[in-house]
Amino acid sequence: MSGAVKFKNNVKISERHGGGEWLAERVLLTALLPLGLWVASTGFTLAGAAYDAVLDWFANPLNAGLLAVTAVLLFGYLSLAWKVILEDYVPQAGARKALTGLLNLVFFVLAAASLFFIVRLALGSAPLPAGFGA
Amino acid sequence: MTQPNPTPGVASGDRTGRFVVQPNGHKTPLSPHMGIWRWHVTMAASILFRATLIAASVGLVFIVAWLGALAFGPEAYETALALAGSPLGLFVGFGLTAVLFSFILNGARHTINDTGNGLTIKSATALSNIAVWAPVPLAILFWVVLFAVGRVSL
Repeated sequence: MSGAVKFKNNVKISERHGGGEWLAERVLLTALLPLGLWVASTGFTLAGAAYDAVLDWFANPLNAGLLAVTAVLLFGYLSLAWKVILEDYVPQAGARKALTGLLNLVFFVLAAASLFFIVRLALGSAPLPAGFGA
Repeated sequence: MTQPNPTPGVASGDRTGRFVVQPNGHKTPLSPHMGIWRWHVTMAASILFRATLIAASVGLVFIVAWLGALAFGPEAYETALALAGSPLGLFVGFGLTAVLFSFILNGARHTINDTGNGLTIKSATALSNIAVWAPVPLAILFWVVLFAVGRVSL
């Protein structure tokens, strides 16, 4: 522990980074609530829709943009949420760090894949694997 | 990162013998042991929010797969649509909507409580009851309407 322990209203305040993470969790969750409602309405619109209808939906930049924002915020939030869960239930520091890192990697890959697919669909690119050797 | 251990303290009103002096000088009772903790819906809501986020992490793999199928063209999308329309696919779809409504309602409860509001026993219980129970009827309504308007069929 570095530095003097500080108190605010007799409650110990975070010494390093805990406060920032708490605030990030709150901001992300607050932003995700209206986006969640939008996802529900989107799910209703696109459930069982034909391929062309879905591509038309993606051709609207507002739809594609909101979906991309939702993906990034949601995977970021889940990364923080899993960190909290692992901190509560995995007491071994090594295993906890390994699991946190692994899940961060998984969420990063999922977010990157989502953005890649969303951008291609929004631009109306030819179906994959066009541009990747086919 | 070693925390000083709470030391046993004597505080007036300590009828349990379990009061401890926290590192900041506060005298607080030790948290009750799991075995004597009374079940309450606020606890269920808190646990279910974590369960929702874990389920959402799994469910998002299906959503990313749906995006991938779209990006791989009409044939891949038809395959994905057929899988989603199968009984197991519809079951997963129902789960995804239940998780989404749980995320919205329980997330709203969490956000309200985080701002320091809705923390009286009555309001905390009411918010938790909504967050715990409402996602299921909402998800059922979602799918009943989808079937009723013919957007989805078996």
